[in-house]
Amino acid sequence: MTLLQIEDLKVHFPVRTGRFGGGKGTVRAVDGVSLSIDARETLALVGESGCGKSTLGNAVLGLAPVTAGTIQFDGQDLGTLSTAARKRLWRDMQVVFQDPVSALNPRRSIASSIAEPLIIHGWSGSIPDRVTELMELVGLNADQRTRRPQALSGGQRQRVVIARALALNPRLIICDEPVSALDVSIQSQILNLLMRLQAELDLSYLFISHDLSVVRHIADRVAVMYLGTVVEDGPASAVFSDPVHPYTQALMSAIPLPDPSRRDRGDRVLLQGDLPSPLDPPSGCPFRTRCPLAEPRCAETRPALTPQGPGHRAACLVQDRNPGGPPA
Amino acid sequence: MSLLDLSDLAIQAGELSLVDGVTLDVHPGEIVALVGESGSGKSLTALSIVDLLGEGLRVTRGSRRFDGADLTPKRLRKLRGQDIAMIFQEPVSSLNPLMPVGAQVAESLIVHGTASESEAQSAAIDMLRRVGIPDPDRRATQLPAELSGGMCQRVMIAAALISRPRLLIADEPTTALDVTIQAQILSLIRDLTREQGTAVLLITHDMGVVAEMADRVCVMYGGRVVEQGAVHDLFAAPRHPYTDMLLRTMPRPDDPPKEPLFAIKGSVPGPRDWPSGCRFRSRCPRADAACTERPPLQGDGHRAACFHPMRPT
Ligand SMILES: Nc1ncnc2c1ncn2[C@@H]1O[C@H](COP(=O)(O)OP(=O)(O)O)[C@@H](O)[C@H]1O
Ligand SMILES: Nc1ncnc2c1ncn2[C@@H]1O[C@H](COP(=O)(O)OP(=O)(O)O)[C@@H](O)[C@H]1O
Ligand code: SF4
Ligand code: SF4
Ligand SMILES: [Mg+2]
Ligand SMILES: [Mg+2]
Repeated sequence: MTLLQIEDLKVHFPVRTGRFGGGKGTVRAVDGVSLSIDARETLALVGESGCGKSTLGNAVLGLAPVTAGTIQFDGQDLGTLSTAARKRLWRDMQVVFQDPVSALNPRRSIASSIAEPLIIHGWSGSIPDRVTELMELVGLNADQRTRRPQALSGGQRQRVVIARALALNPRLIICDEPVSALDVSIQSQILNLLMRLQAELDLSYLFISHDLSVVRHIADRVAVMYLGTVVEDGPASAVFSDPVHPYTQALMSAIPLPDPSRRDRGDRVLLQGDLPSPLDPPSGCPFRTRCPLAEPRCAETRPALTPQGPGHRAACLVQDRNPGGPPA
Repeated sequence: MSLLDLSDLAIQAGELSLVDGVTLDVHPGEIVALVGESGSGKSLTALSIVDLLGEGLRVTRGSRRFDGADLTPKRLRKLRGQDIAMIFQEPVSSLNPLMPVGAQVAESLIVHGTASESEAQSAAIDMLRRVGIPDPDRRATQLPAELSGGMCQRVMIAAALISRPRLLIADEPTTALDVTIQAQILSLIRDLTREQGTAVLLITHDMGVVAEMADRVCVMYGGRVVEQGAVHDLFAAPRHPYTDMLLRTMPRPDDPPKEPLFAIKGSVPGPRDWPSGCRFRSRCPRADAACTERPPLQGDGHRAACFHPMRPT
């Protein structure tokens, strides 16, 4: 069953440009993205910083303005709902950000941070009991109830943030770089927690991450973003083992592997240059300024996502395995 | 003979021990990785080499030698920026925001009187080109704020390498960058230093970066070196339980997806909470009564500081 369905979503920000802010421009942070997430599924959103991952997550949460397109949650179009109905739906959607320090109020105890959404949304049962249950669920000790966040380690703080996100029994959690700020020895604890919670509570995750080793491990499906658009998506196994788009191929081959005997692997694709400005994206294919396979026609036509295999799509004129076929 | 030689280095803030007995050496042309989680003392170790420890921090023990002689403050003033260069994690904040990047790259040549201003300026543009900055003539006149993070890091590398240093200290040079830019910067550091015969002390928390770059590795935990050895030996047969577990926590391409990952229990304690004896013992599954003593770094070439190593030394 499809839980979240995003159709041709655009989020554009008007900005001032030039050294003295005299000009005007538009940042096309998300520029025509279609995605869906099934119940109990993890969709990972990957791509370099600035490609629009967080903006997309924020748009789903109602924290970024939707310029065009639709977002449907459980069959309901978020754009046409009344404020009250949307508020109710937002209990079903929660978020875990990268930085557990700024997500928690330093003056509140752990228990009161976790209780906050229960109070705001009027939890019908006993709030202290629910807090105890949530703390147990995420592996926090009961004796930490009265602690302040400063007295906890980064990993424990992220557990508090996760407990709070789970308070109202959400169905979708947007995890925006949830382990990036944590020590390496702690990351796998939190990833294991997220995987266990998903299985126990039937959660769906939109998992935003720049760490592809992590994504390969926990995602069911992967969408690769570049300059506000999805350039490839599909089952994680297919995208990782058989990437079609040259950008995906470059991303995969840039992952540093913890194995020195493979450092000189010959299949490395090193990209030249940096991400172009989203204020002034290239004509045609957005990736063409860095693409090792670019041809003249790539400047003319913007490639659409086309089917490459079961559930697997990519947007490349040259690598398309099914040229002339119908668009996906 | 080693180029850089640290022996039993200790650093304190007042009475608080932050780095405790770091011994390591770097040979000419070699890349040595100093790896550990945040707070393990990597940056303090690096800063002490160039005498840039902040207010309230001091070296309380040990020696720092470069090219066979002690690194005195007087000697360092001559070596810094010339024979020993440094790059940091945050290129944008390490560059002067008000100075065109070309002038910043040229600076060390001018300061040390190696070249005239115009020679230095054209050498800088040449160096910017070699680190992969497109249109270097124009870029040289721009301020750091007009460049992306990846380009600023390249400017830092150009500024560090223009004087052909014998030692480059790179503190998390790619941590703030995306993987594709990281791959470019790492290959740049590798190629340029190899070309110039520069020795590199590469500081990172990422075992993937270590595996890609290092000839030898030095693993730190709680302000101490817990294991050191050649990169292939250390990855193939880690001896210290911490190194072993750190390597096992990393998701690998052939792991079954969605299965629980190996996890180290507990959290990384801060310097005020380090246990006596072996500092890893609060998290170590092999810990016993012996570990309340400090384990010495033992072995030949491949060394570990552990009473019950994973493999005999
Ligand atoms: N409120 C905003 N106003 C203007 N530009 C924005 C705003 N939020 C994000 N952006 C821009 O949108 C682009 C995408 O940003 P973001 O979604 O944060 O990327 P990511 O999460 O992939 O790193 C970036 O160029 C960013 O600078
Ligand atoms: N000026 C200072 N006073 C007190 N403690 C400090 C100071 N500078 C750094 N520290 C502490 O020293 C420890 C080691 O720091 P650092 O060398 O920066 O670690 P790393 O680079 O490995 O992350 C950390 O716990 C840090 O908080
Ligand atoms: S369409 Fe052309 S430029 Fe774009 S990814 Fe494919 S080959 Fe590269
Ligand atoms: S000395 Fe003891 S506590 Fe320390 S790493 Fe070895 S076995 Fe573990
Ligand atoms: Mg983001
Ligand atoms: Mg550091």
